[in-house]
Parts: sequence; C-alpha cells; structure tokens
Amino acid sequence: MTAEPLLTGRGVVKSYGQIPALRGVSVDVAEGEIVAVTGPSGCGKSTLLHCLAGILTPDAGEVSYRGERIERRSEAERSLLRRSEFGVLFQFGQLVPELTIAENVALPLMLGGTGRRQAHTAALTWLDRLGVAHLADDLPGAVSGGEQQRTALARALVTEPRVLFADEPTGALDTLAGEQVLDHLLRVTQDQGTAVIIVTHDARVAAYAAREFALRDGEHDPSGVGIGSVRRGRRARGEVATEARAR
Amino acid sequence: MSTPYVLLGFLAERPRHGYDLKHAYDSRFPKAKPMAFGQVYATLGRLERDGLAFAQGSDQAGGPERTVYAATPEGRARLEEWLATVETPAPHVNSALLAKVTVALLVADVETASTYVTDQVAAHMARMRELTAIKTSPQSALSDVIAADYAINHLDADLRWLRTTLDRVSDLHREVHT
Amino acid sequence: MKPGALLRLALAGSRTDTLRVVLTAVSAALAMLAILAAATVVAIPELGSSPDDAAAWNVQYTVAYLREPGLRPGVTVALVLLVIPALVLAAQCGRLGAPARDRRLASIRLAGATPRQTMTLVAVETGVASALGALIALGTYLLGRRLLHNPGPDGRLVLPTDVLPPWWVLALLTASLPLLATGIAVVALRRVSVGPFGVVRRQRAESPRIWPGLLVMPGIAVIAVLEPISAYADNRDVALPAAVFLGLVATGALMTVIGVVFGTGWISHRAGQTLARYARRAPAMLAGRRLMADPWAGSRAFAVVLTCVAFGAAAAGVKAAFAANFAVEDEANRLTAEANGEEFVPRTDLDFYYNAFDLINVAVAVAALIAAGGLLVTIAEGIVSRRRTYAHLSASGVPRSVLRRATMWQALAPVVPASVVAAVAGAALPRALFGSSVTGGGYDSVPEVTLSVPIPFGDLAMLSGGAVVVVAAVVMVSLLFLRPSTHPSELRTG
Repeated sequence: MTAEPLLTGRGVVKSYGQIPALRGVSVDVAEGEIVAVTGPSGCGKSTLLHCLAGILTPDAGEVSYRGERIERRSEAERSLLRRSEFGVLFQFGQLVPELTIAENVALPLMLGGTGRRQAHTAALTWLDRLGVAHLADDLPGAVSGGEQQRTALARALVTEPRVLFADEPTGALDTLAGEQVLDHLLRVTQDQGTAVIIVTHDARVAAYAAREFALRDGEHDPSGVGIGSVRRGRRARGEVATEARAR
Repeated sequence: MSTPYVLLGFLAERPRHGYDLKHAYDSRFPKAKPMAFGQVYATLGRLERDGLAFAQGSDQAGGPERTVYAATPEGRARLEEWLATVETPAPHVNSALLAKVTVALLVADVETASTYVTDQVAAHMARMRELTAIKTSPQSALSDVIAADYAINHLDADLRWLRTTLDRVSDLHREVHT
Repeated sequence: MKPGALLRLALAGSRTDTLRVVLTAVSAALAMLAILAAATVVAIPELGSSPDDAAAWNVQYTVAYLREPGLRPGVTVALVLLVIPALVLAAQCGRLGAPARDRRLASIRLAGATPRQTMTLVAVETGVASALGALIALGTYLLGRRLLHNPGPDGRLVLPTDVLPPWWVLALLTASLPLLATGIAVVALRRVSVGPFGVVRRQRAESPRIWPGLLVMPGIAVIAVLEPISAYADNRDVALPAAVFLGLVATGALMTVIGVVFGTGWISHRAGQTLARYARRAPAMLAGRRLMADPWAGSRAFAVVLTCVAFGAAAAGVKAAFAANFAVEDEANRLTAEANGEEFVPRTDLDFYYNAFDLINVAVAVAALIAAGGLLVTIAEGIVSRRRTYAHLSASGVPRSVLRRATMWQALAPVVPASVVAAVAGAALPRALFGSSVTGGGYDSVPEVTLSVPIPFGDLAMLSGGAVVVVAAVVMVSLLFLRPSTHPSELRTG
C-alpha cells in the first residue's frame, strides 16, 4: 500500500467571473478511500470536484494524480483521464437518451478502442452486478430514476477507474432508490478498491463515507461543522496566509 | 435527567428561590411539561445534599418567606464538567442537547457553546457512520436495518438543528463583539 | 391581452432574440423581393393577342424572357417558387435561440398566461419581424427601380424598371407576406406546447412509414403514361386538351416532389437503423440512434434542398432531351441539304435555349443556398438544445471530436441516399415525358433519324454531389456551436 496519496489538491482557487467559488482548498485522497465533501449550498463543493476530476482548470493551485500534476494538461489528455482512470457520476442528465441502457454503459469502452461486441458483453456484466441487466435494451426514458442512476454508475465504473467522483448522486431520487444506489456504489468500489469522492449536502449520505471534508464559503472548514466561531475564523485566516506563503 | 443541571445553571447565573426557578424553567422550555413545585424542591434538596447548592438566606420582599438558593463552587465546577461533556448520540437525546446549549449560553460564553456544539456534531456524525455500516452490512436483518434507519433519521434531524444553532450563535457573537 | 403589452412581451429579449428577429426579417425581405419581382414581370403589358405573334413582343427589353409573352409565365413561376425556400428560412429562424426564449415563455406561463397567449407571442414576433422585412423589401424595390433604371444607347432596358404594378397590388402583397409567414410559424409550432415548467415538443411517436416515399413511383408513372395516351389520342385523331395534359404533368411532378420530401423521414430512420446496427465505433452509433429517435429533425430545410436537386435534375433531363431534339433536327436538315445538294447550315440560335437552362441552374443554386441557411439554423439549434447532455458527456470523458463526428454522420447519412433518390426521381420525369429516344426526319427523301437521349449522369452527379457538399459545409459551420455547448457551466445542478 503506497503511502503517497492517490489524488491531491493544493491551494485550489477557482472563480466564476467575479464570484469566487474556491479560495484555496487543499485535500488528499488515499487509494481506496471514501471521502464525503460536504457543506451548505454554494460553498464550492461541486467546483472542487470538477477541479479534482480535471473537468475545470483551476485559476491557481495544483491538482496531482499519482504524483503527476494534471491541472495544466490539455483538454484531450484530461478527457482521456476522465474516461479511463476516473469515473464520474452526476445527479442526472448524463445518459444519452437515444442509446439503450447497454449502449450507454458500453460507450466508454468503445471510446477506448474496444470493439462493439466486446464492449456490449462487458456492459452486460456490469449491469448484472448492479441489478439492472433486465433493462439492457430499454431506453433511459423508459426506466425509473434509480435504475437510471445505477446505469450511470455502471457506466462510470465500466473502465475500472481508480477514482470515482460522485456529485449528489442521490439528489434526484427518493430515499430507498438512493439507498440502493449508495449500497451498490459502496459494495462495488470496495470490491475494486476504487477511491470515492462524493459531494453531498445530506448527512445521511455523508455517513456512508469514512471521512468528511467540509467546505464553507470556498474554504476548508476543519471543525467539520461549517460556521464561524471565532476560533475557526482565526484558524482559517492563518491557513490561507500559510497557503499564500507556500505558493 | 438533565433537570438538576438546568436548575444548577439557573442558580449559577444568580441566586433564586423555588418559585423563580420553576418560572425560569417553564419559560425557557415551553414545549416540555411545566415543572411541578414538588419536583423543584425535590431537585433542590438533592443538589443541597450533593453539595452543589446551598440555601443562602431568606428573601422577604413584602410577601411570605421564601428561601433563596445559590450554587456552590463545587456546583459550578460540576456544571462546567457537564457542559464540556458530549451527550451519547441517541434518538431521544434532543431535550438534553437543548438543555445544554441553553445553559451554556446562560452561564458560560458563546465560545463554550460553539465548542460544545462542534464536538457534539462530530460525535453525531461518528455515530451515524456506525449506524450506516450496520444498515449496509449484508449480515443485518430487516429489523436491524429499520432500527438503524430510525436512529439515523433522528440523528440527522439533530444535526440540522445543531448546525443551524451554531449559525445563530456565531451571528450573535458577531453582533456582540463588533 | 392589450396590443401594446403583446408587442412588448413578444419583442422582449437579449442579443440572440434580436439576431433572430433580424434574420427573420431578412428572410422575409428576400421572399418579398421575389414576389415583387414576379409581380413586376406580370405587370408587363400584353401587347398582342397570340403569344406567337412577333408583333406582340415588348421590344423595349433586351432580355428575351421579358420580351416574349410566351416566356414570361415561366419567369414568374420561377420567381414565385423562390419564395418558398425564403419563407421556410424565415420559419426556421423562428427557432433560433429557442432555449432562452422557451424559458421566458415558461415564466410568462407561470405568471398566468394561457397556452394560446404564449403561442400568440411567438407568432406575433414572427409577424412583426416579417412585416419589418416586407417593408424594407418594398422600400428597396421602389428605390432600386429608380437606381437600376438605366436605358442603353438604343433606349432598351435590361430589367423591367419601367413597369410598376398598381399600388393596391403592392399594398396587398406587402400586407399578405407577414400574414403568410405568421401562418407558417403557427403551423410549425402546432406540436409545441408551453407549460409553466418549460416548452415541450411533442415528438412523433411512431417511426416514419415508407408509403409517402413510395409516392415517387406513381408520380413518375403518371408522367410516363402521358406518352402512350397522347399517341393513342393522335391515332384516333382526337386532340388531347392542353389543360388535361398540363394537369397530368403537374400532378405527376407534384406527387414525385411530395414523395421525395416526405420520404426523407423514412430514409433518415432507415439510415439511422443501418448505422446503429453496423456501427463499430461510438460516433456512428450515436448518430444512428439519434436519427432513429428523431428522423424529422431539419427535414423542412432539407426537403427544400432535395426539391432543388430534383428540380435541377428534371431541368438537366429536359436539357438532354432538347439537345437530342436539336441534334436530330440538325441531322435531318443535313441529310435534306445533302439530298438537295445545298449547303447545310446548322442552327445557331441554340445559345438562347442553353442560357435558359443555365439561368434555371442559377435559380436552383440560389434556392438551395437559402435552404442551406435554414438547415444551419436547425442543426445549430439541435446542438444547443442538447447542451446539457453534451456537457455531461464531455465531463464523463467523451472527447469533443467524437461528438463532432457523430453530428457529421447524423447529417450526412440521410443526405447521400436522399439526394441520389431526388436526382434520379427528378431526371426520370422528363425521361418519362419525352421518351428515351427522339426521332426526326422520315419525310420526303430524308430517312428517319433516331437518337437516344443520354442520361445526364454528369449533371446528376454534380447535383447530388453539390447537395452533399452544401450540407457538409453547413454541418461544419454549425459545429462551431459544439464547443460552448460542452462547457462545464451546464453541469450546474441548481
């Protein structure tokens, strides 16, 4: 087991125009670890996820995967990373509505050069693991939200990534459907040794993770609670100053 | 179970007599059952016996004689200890949480209250993780899952209240100190 | 709703909305100019009674098409036909920037407007934009008449700038165009319903049937049957009424065109099915499934392009028949001259006819380009309206090049077979009418000369090839919209 963390962010800063979303966040994720990124809405959780996954390029700071910096790589290279070493799961909207369930899951493999038939077989295996193999020839519009999310999960995991990024994966689902998705997510990632970073504002979802990383107003909140007592204020300012010096 | 500490808290703020204690309790905890006088005096008696409070004197302000009680130094120490201790996370602990936060704001300062809430949140989250592990374990029977789920949902409600309370407390702190 | 409020709400909006209004106005202006030109040609006074009487020619014009009364109807028809692609473009422009406008309409619904009121807003916007365009066209026309009035040294004119249709005709036309454009927009929106949560386009649930496409064959058959019928009539010495003849020709041509146009749905669906089944790589698979799910996307503008191909193919067929006819005549004359010992002089006035065909080709090209504009709008809108899916795909690691290739496949897969079918169908019409061989001579001592009419493969290849190239160019331009559509800002969950 390597002591070096698998994925790290150092002093990540990102703004949308004038609005700062991340003000210098540092985080480590070890191999096979499950981390929940929590915080109130608007605190920058999704932005942090997007920066760590290479979907967004941060304005400042570093993101390293397996010891190599990835934030400045070209879009083509990061895209390759996202479909081979990383898996991404969103709240909704990620399945191609015209492709069947099986074709949706086979897509990343086909993009990686696998032949169609082979990719289809692999897709069916994964759908079976997640209990939705009977829907293989249906269109996404014809299945339930929970089944869609399990399909999306299968698609995220079909290339056997080392890190799974999940952004509010159960946000659009009712409680039991969400539990099902999380159960499968937990089981499969534990079997594969995949690290998981899950963004959520729901404490019950965060409880599935071994560790919580709380954000507040674009900064890490070490108290884990998310609000300014004097103690936290002083410490946070100190942290930012240290980061500024280190940069 | 936290009633003795609540009364102790009132006494630590300032010496009071029995009627005043009941009135203070009822107004601070309107949702709870109104406290009976018998319970007030019984609790006061226990506090006295344990050396946490003592009868200070009599107040005779144009009415019948009323004994005024105050907190002893041991009482204050015990109170601080109680305030610094986290409640074991369980579904019906909320009244104890409310009691603790109320007393902390009354007797101690905002920082103490914030620290308590922060620590309580961490304890709650740890317990929620344990319960979630039970819920997702393949060995758990349906009844185990249901019980764990019940506890998780109530702890979640507590967590929401704790976080909001911390928000309010820090607002208050900012108001007071700026 | 009060007219003032209606106007205000209809014209509210951002830069994209202004662009849409401007483009709609421009298309409407183009259509209006075509109509005004046609009206001007119609207004050229008829001088004589019989179209063959040379004295009836309006000699003040240098161009034969304006001079000879027999040719003018053809010009008028061609100009009126140009209106169709321009109006289709105007209707397509109404879909530009639709997502933002749809959100606006949805919030207006949420504020209490009825569905009919919101549809009225859309129609009013098109109406106002086309009214604007019509007025601009009228102004340009009136101004242009003055500016282009340029008699040559012999006092003759190139353009009919000395003729002005009566003012009430001008007024009527200028008023009718916006109404017509609005009517088309309303019909185009019949499948759209605006609810408080967004705009829903009711998709056709069933896959397109093949029977509309099969109309092509009866259409050609109707024309093919004309020759035997007229031969039969000749044998019985019965004169076939011109009206019946023309009517049958028109019916046959119309059926063929309708078949080509409505057959695109089936062709697209079929092409999609084939792609989806046999695709090895992701782009073709994505394109195939998308075509199956939505075979009618862009079909209106595409239909106009196909009609241009069919029309051009028919013209090429007619040209080939005419050329064969002239060749046969020349040959017969040559033989006659030989027999009589005279010198043979071939016809030299053929340029006139060939120029006519060139002009037709130009008109066809112009119409196709206008239709291509409409196609661009449709494809771009298709990309932009799917941006949430594209952004999610891009974030999941699907490279933009794959999405680009998929869009290319999706547009070109139906185009290739459809334009071939359109070219073949178009060329079959004159072939059915004029026959596959022409005969001349056979009188006096001159033997019969028979020439077969060649199929104008070269022209047909250029037409279908041209359609494919135009569509490919349009797709490449619309791909400019793909990059912003994959931006991570579309990933926001709320």
